[in-house]
Amino acid sequence: MDATPVILILVVVLVVYGLAYVFYGKRILEKKVVRASPDRVTPAYEKFDGIDYVPANKYVLYGHHFASIAGAGPIVGPALAMVWGWGLPLIWVLFGNVFIGAVHDYLSMMASVRHGGVSIMSISENVMGRKAKYVFLAYVWFALVLVLAAFFSVASSTFVGTPTAATISVLFMPIALLFGLLVYRTGVSVKTGTVIALVLLILALFYSLNVPLYLTYEAWVVVLSLYSMLAAALPVWYLLQPRDYINAYLLWAFVALAIIGALLTFNYSFTGPIYTSFAGPGTLIGALAGTSTGKASIAYFWPTVPLVIACGALSGFHSVVGSGTTSKQLSNELDALLVGYGGMLTEGAVSSLAVITPIALAWNFAALASATGLPVSEVLLKAGVNTTATPIITGLGGADRFTVGYGLEQAVAWSRIFGPGVFESAFLTFKTFAAWALSAFVLTTLDTSNRLARFAWRELFDWLKPRNELAYKAITNRWVASVIPVVLGAIMAYPKIEVYIPELNKTTVVYAYSIVWPAFAGTNQLLAALALLTAALWAYAIQKVRGGTSLLIMIPALFLWITVTAGLIWWLYAVVPGLPPLYQVGAGTIVAISVVLDFLLIGLFITGLRRARS
Amino acid sequence: MKAKEALGLIITVLSLLIFAYEILYVGLVTRNIGVKGDVATDAILISAGFLLIILGPALWLGEVPTNLKKLVEAKTGRKLS
Repeated sequence: MDATPVILILVVVLVVYGLAYVFYGKRILEKKVVRASPDRVTPAYEKFDGIDYVPANKYVLYGHHFASIAGAGPIVGPALAMVWGWGLPLIWVLFGNVFIGAVHDYLSMMASVRHGGVSIMSISENVMGRKAKYVFLAYVWFALVLVLAAFFSVASSTFVGTPTAATISVLFMPIALLFGLLVYRTGVSVKTGTVIALVLLILALFYSLNVPLYLTYEAWVVVLSLYSMLAAALPVWYLLQPRDYINAYLLWAFVALAIIGALLTFNYSFTGPIYTSFAGPGTLIGALAGTSTGKASIAYFWPTVPLVIACGALSGFHSVVGSGTTSKQLSNELDALLVGYGGMLTEGAVSSLAVITPIALAWNFAALASATGLPVSEVLLKAGVNTTATPIITGLGGADRFTVGYGLEQAVAWSRIFGPGVFESAFLTFKTFAAWALSAFVLTTLDTSNRLARFAWRELFDWLKPRNELAYKAITNRWVASVIPVVLGAIMAYPKIEVYIPELNKTTVVYAYSIVWPAFAGTNQLLAALALLTAALWAYAIQKVRGGTSLLIMIPALFLWITVTAGLIWWLYAVVPGLPPLYQVGAGTIVAISVVLDFLLIGLFITGLRRARS
Repeated sequence: MKAKEALGLIITVLSLLIFAYEILYVGLVTRNIGVKGDVATDAILISAGFLLIILGPALWLGEVPTNLKKLVEAKTGRKLS
């Protein structure tokens, strides 16, 4: 336990983000690097097709981008990383957010906007050559299929575990569609439409709290697969824009409540330590619990932190969103800073204020009870957490750490206003609300991933277009291109397979996708490093940015590349030998191939940089 | 009205009826929809309604909205078909 008051962290986080947005984002990236102009016509107008290329209102697009980039990553990653203490994860989130993640998101988007809305993978052709483009595209397409499989599974498990989250998710869709139809079809203003939708959303929230929707895991996988296919193929103005816009309010409420929670608990100190150890257990980076590698302290903060904390600090997936769905809807270049840089800072706020701060406050249950005088243990016991067996929050799983931490911070905060009588009901309500927010993040990412896989698929086959246009049209048809990733994703999310663990001499049952999932964290972050290098090269070669400004982008990009590459090599060395043979073949092979591709692409980057200099 | 639009209208009405029945009747009367650990009829119905309500209006009103077209035409000076 240390004496850091909650209010101090709140102030630090808000000041860092505010300064970063104005001084780095606005003055350097927007004005000096991108030189954004409101007069330049964006691809949303230039290539308008009524389906994917459609101009969107700045705030609608911000909502879409924020909701799409924020999956389970900004929540589960930092929650798990708390075993290092709360200080190191917070520093990584702030540093990664400001100098890497937000830069990566904004520049990927703007590079795409300047290249007709194509993905960052295709832009790599201009600066690194044709080979890089197709290697990059194939890599991303497979990664997106894996994301679909994992998120089908995560969302289905969340709906089974928290059936009220299923109710609100089902009710949410018609409300979003109604908003879209009101605004686009009947000419109702965005303001009026928003009020109507929000009133209905609040009613739906109260309804959902009392009416759970039960379905089995397997049935949810099927329903969500069909949903993902439909949502990815339909025009963006019809479902994606209104859904993400309204969803953003739910997510803002979630962040705003975290800020209010921190304000109301301002003078309480964190009950958790700022620092525990530089080395965490191997389970943090994918080693199996119970095995010698799972127990061993092999997850060193550096270089493995990007394998643990993804979206909250930086994530390669974001470059695919920024240069995929978002760049095709940007109606004014000046909107991009709020959408890209601001969207990523908002996601960092989710990690720092809604995950790290509440968990650090609620870390030691007995200490929290003693500091607040509230019946923490009794209420947790009713919610299924035995504080005798689990005295500190890191004894819980990643998602539970978050929901319990968020629920406790809110309950403590509102008890100060309305008295200790509301503590129990506030805890249960906000714990459920946290689970809803998690499922809302996951669901929006689910269908955006499929749409992005469709874009990558289309660009992957662009060589066919001049040779056989008919075949190209058939292969890249939006329904065909949406069905393929969904089917593959569902195949990996649906079945359970038996895995023998020699070290424990036992057989465990897992979902098929989890055999390769441990590889995803690493390959996703590798994608971030490569996308940021591409964006840095784009700024250098195409935008002719030189001197300190160029170094401000290049140095974090190279630092990230070194960190992720070292992290992956460490993972292959320390984690893979302890995994069951099936995992070694699945995840191990993917990471090994990724490291080879990684060196191939860094070679192409150096060649591109030399060419640009000469 | 084209056949596609008529089909979309029928699907929309059907999905709204399913939603109204499941949400306003089943949900409020029984305080839950479906049965825990099982694939019950009510859960199948509302899941179908959830998917149909996305598809129905898309078929019925699927054309690009006029105000969106006008916005693009004004910005680009290009006439959209």
